[in-house]
Amino acid sequence: MNGQGESAVIRASRISKKFGEVTAVDDVSFEVRRGETYGLLGPNGAGKTTTMRLISGLSPLSAGDLTVAGIDVSRQGREVRHVLGVVTQQDGLDTDLSPRDNLIVYGFIAGLSRAEAARRADAVLMYFDLTDRSDDEIDNLSGGMKRRLAIARAFMTKPQVIVLDEPTTGLDPQGRNRVWQELETMKQAGVTILMSTHYMDEASALCDRLAIMHDGRILAEGAPDELVSQHAGQEVAQVRVSNGARGDVVEWIGSAGLDYRDAGAVITVTSPSGGRPDLSGLEGVRVSYRPSNLEDVFLSVAGRELTDE
Amino acid sequence: MMGVAQSTYIGGIRPRSIAGIWFRHALVLRHTWLPSITWYFVEPVVILLAIGVGIGTLVDDIDGLPYARFVTPGVIAGSAMFHAIFECSWGSFFRIQKGVYETTLTAPVSTRELAMGDISWAMSRAIITATCIGVVAAALGWIDSLSGAGVLLAAALVGIQFGALGLIFAALAPNIHILSLSFTVVASPLYFFSGAFFPISVLPDWLEPIAWATPLTPSVHLARGFLTGSLDISHLLSALYVLGMSAVLIPVASALLHRRLVK
Repeated sequence: MNGQGESAVIRASRISKKFGEVTAVDDVSFEVRRGETYGLLGPNGAGKTTTMRLISGLSPLSAGDLTVAGIDVSRQGREVRHVLGVVTQQDGLDTDLSPRDNLIVYGFIAGLSRAEAARRADAVLMYFDLTDRSDDEIDNLSGGMKRRLAIARAFMTKPQVIVLDEPTTGLDPQGRNRVWQELETMKQAGVTILMSTHYMDEASALCDRLAIMHDGRILAEGAPDELVSQHAGQEVAQVRVSNGARGDVVEWIGSAGLDYRDAGAVITVTSPSGGRPDLSGLEGVRVSYRPSNLEDVFLSVAGRELTDE
Repeated sequence: MMGVAQSTYIGGIRPRSIAGIWFRHALVLRHTWLPSITWYFVEPVVILLAIGVGIGTLVDDIDGLPYARFVTPGVIAGSAMFHAIFECSWGSFFRIQKGVYETTLTAPVSTRELAMGDISWAMSRAIITATCIGVVAAALGWIDSLSGAGVLLAAALVGIQFGALGLIFAALAPNIHILSLSFTVVASPLYFFSGAFFPISVLPDWLEPIAWATPLTPSVHLARGFLTGSLDISHLLSALYVLGMSAVLIPVASALLHRRLVK
């Protein structure tokens, strides 16, 4: 696409981060375009959090070039945080202050005048539907409300970009749904969103484009649909098999020219053509079919399951 | 777009960061002032009265000072120390644990400013408690308002010095239990051997230089110098000692905090 370069708000070129001998982020490159929601999808330990800390200027780069809104992060790390709103995984709310004062204090520290910070706090509380909890104790808020307040805090300075580290981890379905709504509203307001997640449904629902991360590297990048059709076809078959029959079943699948991933009780089968794998000749097992999704993509590019809990 | 005004820096330091952190602490005090009064005011005044009046009636004048007047600057400096070290050890440790500092750093704040913000509040706490005690002492005629201003200055120096020391504890402590050492091993012994309650000269000869070298002693000496109005070179040296120690401790605290928070 022409003009992509100019519209990139975040530009990471071959960035790396080493902690002693451990390479947490390994030669990663990607661009986030203005106004898009970009996701980093991967399991725990994939390097998502470290990548986001590098982008926020909160952790020094070991190698590579990184600019955010034209600001060179390695040289002006903290200036970056004038244009970014950062939501860390730990909500980091100040339990000694009310929700409203959490916002005001953050706004003031970030550079707003006290009057501006107070005005903006009221507007942001209303925007995130937290007005009636303005003066409550932080500990009385539900997990979902706390997370929304943390997002509201990052929104205090009207940032061009919001960086969210696993915004819904640990939330119940209702809280999760609300956070999704807020992210959608911010996107409508033109905010560029960079988020990490290890939930494939979250990545496909929210992200315009995403990078699949594993062991500090980006293994695949693209729109969710593109990634699925490129790496996982349209449909997969799931074969439930007892331990005794496993060997025979696997042999049959192999001889039928199909790809498979053996993940314990369930063998996931894909057809190289991308269509529905034909398992009609396989007897004595339970077969079910479902549309391919990002978990299959992850399995295909990383060779392991996305979720390992 | 409104956007946030670009930061102003003075020598690489962003004053707004420090002001913002100070504002946070002030806001917390505004909400918790009622229970806080016991710390700032009631407890030190009880100590002052118990010792000044109680023990004071049993003890002769020391160096020409009635015992209550002798002990007033010591109680003020000691209370300043406890407040500063508590704020920056327990208080800062909790803020590290709860991710409050991590959040603060997501604004354009550096760890150095974080340290300076907390230490500036430690100084303010020291001044607040010194003022509370000073007002009571003045009402009792144990201190006059003019020398009181000097005593507040000494308390402010104590606040900076022990704020930095407390922050070192917070930055190094692997867990909350270690922080107790800042009171049991540091603050309490220093309080009792600082010359707050008896002149250093009554200690055995070998202990005297050690007592003089401990961090609170010079401030008690300085505060007492202001109270009696007889300042000499020893008081200047005392002030320089405290300032010098702070000049070493602040960068150390800030570096340790950086090591703990930025990886």
